[in-house]
Amino acid sequence: MMRPLLLLLAGAALACAQDSAGLVKQGEQVFAKTCATGYCHGARGSSAGAPRLAARGFNQAYIAGVVVRGIPNTGMQGFAGRLPDTDLAAVISYVAALNGVVNPTSGLGGPAATGSAEPQLTGEAARGALLFRQALRGFGRCSTCHEVGGFGISVASPIAQLPASVDALKALATPNVKTATLESESMPVLVLSDGKQGAQFYDLSATPPVQCNALPGSVKFSAGSSWRHTSAITAYSDAELSAILAYLHAVIQP
Amino acid sequence: MRLLLALFALSVALAQDAGPTHADWPSYGGSDFSWRYSALDQINTGNVKSLAPVWMFQTGDYAENLQATPIVEDGVLYLITARARVFALDAATGREIWNYRYPDPPRAVPGFVGNRGLAVGDGKVFFGTKDDYLVALDQKTGRMMWRVNIDDARQCGCNITAAPLVVKDKVIVGGTGGDGAHRGYLTAFSTSNGHLAWRWYVVPGPGEKGHETWKGDSWIFGGGAPWLTGSYDPALNLLYWGTGNAAADFYDAERVPSGADKNKNLNLYTASVVALDPDTGKLRWFHQEVPGDIWDYDSAYEVLLMDLQIRGRTRQALVHMNKSGLTSVLDRTNGELLGVFSVPEVRTWVTGITEDGKLVGRNEPQLGKATAICPSAAGAKSWNSMAYSPRTGLIYVPVNELCNDITPNNRPAEEGQNYMNGEFPIRLIPGRATNSHLDAWDPATGKRVWSMPYKYVLLASMLATAGNLVFTGNPEGDFFALDAASGNKLWSFQTGAGHRGASVAYSVNGREYIATSTGWHSSVVGGAVQALFPDQDWRLGSSMVVFALPESSK
Repeated sequence: MMRPLLLLLAGAALACAQDSAGLVKQGEQVFAKTCATGYCHGARGSSAGAPRLAARGFNQAYIAGVVVRGIPNTGMQGFAGRLPDTDLAAVISYVAALNGVVNPTSGLGGPAATGSAEPQLTGEAARGALLFRQALRGFGRCSTCHEVGGFGISVASPIAQLPASVDALKALATPNVKTATLESESMPVLVLSDGKQGAQFYDLSATPPVQCNALPGSVKFSAGSSWRHTSAITAYSDAELSAILAYLHAVIQP
Repeated sequence: MRLLLALFALSVALAQDAGPTHADWPSYGGSDFSWRYSALDQINTGNVKSLAPVWMFQTGDYAENLQATPIVEDGVLYLITARARVFALDAATGREIWNYRYPDPPRAVPGFVGNRGLAVGDGKVFFGTKDDYLVALDQKTGRMMWRVNIDDARQCGCNITAAPLVVKDKVIVGGTGGDGAHRGYLTAFSTSNGHLAWRWYVVPGPGEKGHETWKGDSWIFGGGAPWLTGSYDPALNLLYWGTGNAAADFYDAERVPSGADKNKNLNLYTASVVALDPDTGKLRWFHQEVPGDIWDYDSAYEVLLMDLQIRGRTRQALVHMNKSGLTSVLDRTNGELLGVFSVPEVRTWVTGITEDGKLVGRNEPQLGKATAICPSAAGAKSWNSMAYSPRTGLIYVPVNELCNDITPNNRPAEEGQNYMNGEFPIRLIPGRATNSHLDAWDPATGKRVWSMPYKYVLLASMLATAGNLVFTGNPEGDFFALDAASGNKLWSFQTGAGHRGASVAYSVNGREYIATSTGWHSSVVGGAVQALFPDQDWRLGSSMVVFALPESSK
């Protein structure tokens, strides 16, 4: 929860630097692209599938809250972390203007904060970021098992230590992968929990891994496995793996 | 010759046997032939007047209405709500046997809340989730056995709202995302352990046949997501599925190769009916219904498999309607077009359709200009299913007469983000007192046999029964039965909330039940059309209401 808040405050600071009319104009563009689309709020908030937003008497604080946090159990999701902070601020101003608020601001208020948690990626690292989660690779992409930078499935624990080279990435030791024996079958697994309620683990014998929930006493785990990280990264060339490592080095602090 | 004739008759008989349901309602479309037709006839035109509620079940999940088609097996009714809360109920009494609550995905998961059904097979209950998992529960206890992720919803902008389909030892599921920058697919998993069996991409990649129908890199975000549930013919071992529209929806300059003939197959295999080998996921044949689609006319809807007498011959056919209301009749063994007809009364997107399925007089929206297009992108029929009765030989179709004024734009694609490239405010047609109608069509001739007009819109699935009845509900909360032959209304019951779901028929210990989901509200099409009737306050809810004849009058 902490990071989005910080980002929002940073966004508010940026927004304050702009004049109100400029902010509203920018918000109009963001709104057209993000909120008016599809079955949602329609052009200039005139309503399509989702409710009308123009001339509803909404005040700025309410608008800001809904834009940031969404409305639970409806199609309206919070946009914190989904839109750049400057766009968030701008779209709040625009919707406020649609509701007759004079000289709207971002409505976020609060003290100015500086800095952003996400470093700007360039060159090799930027290419690596795309490769890491490239949809064209289907289940062969890194993000099938790793969550980094808000994308991917956290099958594996968060990456804490990074191999120094592509060769080291291929030879990566995976002591957390164990061998599970169920009935007469055995498979490499990542154990999530093993207690009185049963055992939860990822079955790594298939890609994508399957999260299994075994009845108490039905599965036994033993150390070590035949599973190798190198067989999970065959969709990438060495050059691509090198770019992915550059990305991970840029975003993961040791 | 006699032997051949006998064999032919046998295969036809088998096909007709596979269509109806009996005591159970085993699959999303009733049977895997997707007729939504029950062979039960205890409740019929003669006694339906006495039909009365026998139990109700409130799910408590009022988020986004109850859209799901329940499954009934051996006296147990399985139900899933919009937020993936799953219930097993005693189908005779409504007593809860077990429930399972899928954890709410984090708020950061984008997309729509909604779930249109679950599947039962191999001792398990299968369903999809907003955060793109396929989940398997123990059918006896509701305990989660396994789940497998099919995509990162935050990246693809896609969700699973459709019911999965169990075919032999596999469970097959499609996803949403056809209106976003996303490349749609079907994915099959082993029912026993969730291991991936195959994935079939609607949009072919480099080197694959059909790839040449895409301009440049447009295939990467080409859409086509098959967001509903398919059908299966075990005798032919073919899996049938409808695919979604190409993306961007309303602007095609980025995806249509220069000089392409819009009458020919284009942006394959979007807006098509496809037949796949269910064991391998390999394409066997396809039929594109809307080549060069620029109106958001998905073909993702249900596929009804039936045998029809066409021009004096019995054909193994399928009947399929897309959003435009164009309805194709195909030979389901090879995809040959046997007939095509258009269902809505008001149509401005084309001036006509030739017998061989060619679109005549295409009315294409132009960049930056508003063009009035009917029917609307909400569909002449929405995703709610039609039904087919072999007794009358008719299909029963809820049709909405709405238009939209489409203004295309050319914003670039951003992965997982909305990629409709257009504004399309949906509106009523001036001068019409009724805005929808429930029709009976003869698919063999393409003729409308009867039509019941309705003031607002019809967005619930149809049910047909051997009692010569057709059931559905409306947004005002009325659940009603019509005479399948004449369309005369024979019975109606006010359920207290609008209808956006489905009804099914089943029997327990010899007593026939009709069950319907109730609860209006939807942030998608339901919401869009409700905005057209601002004086109406169609009620939310999320309940099953179940009817039977009084014990004395059966």
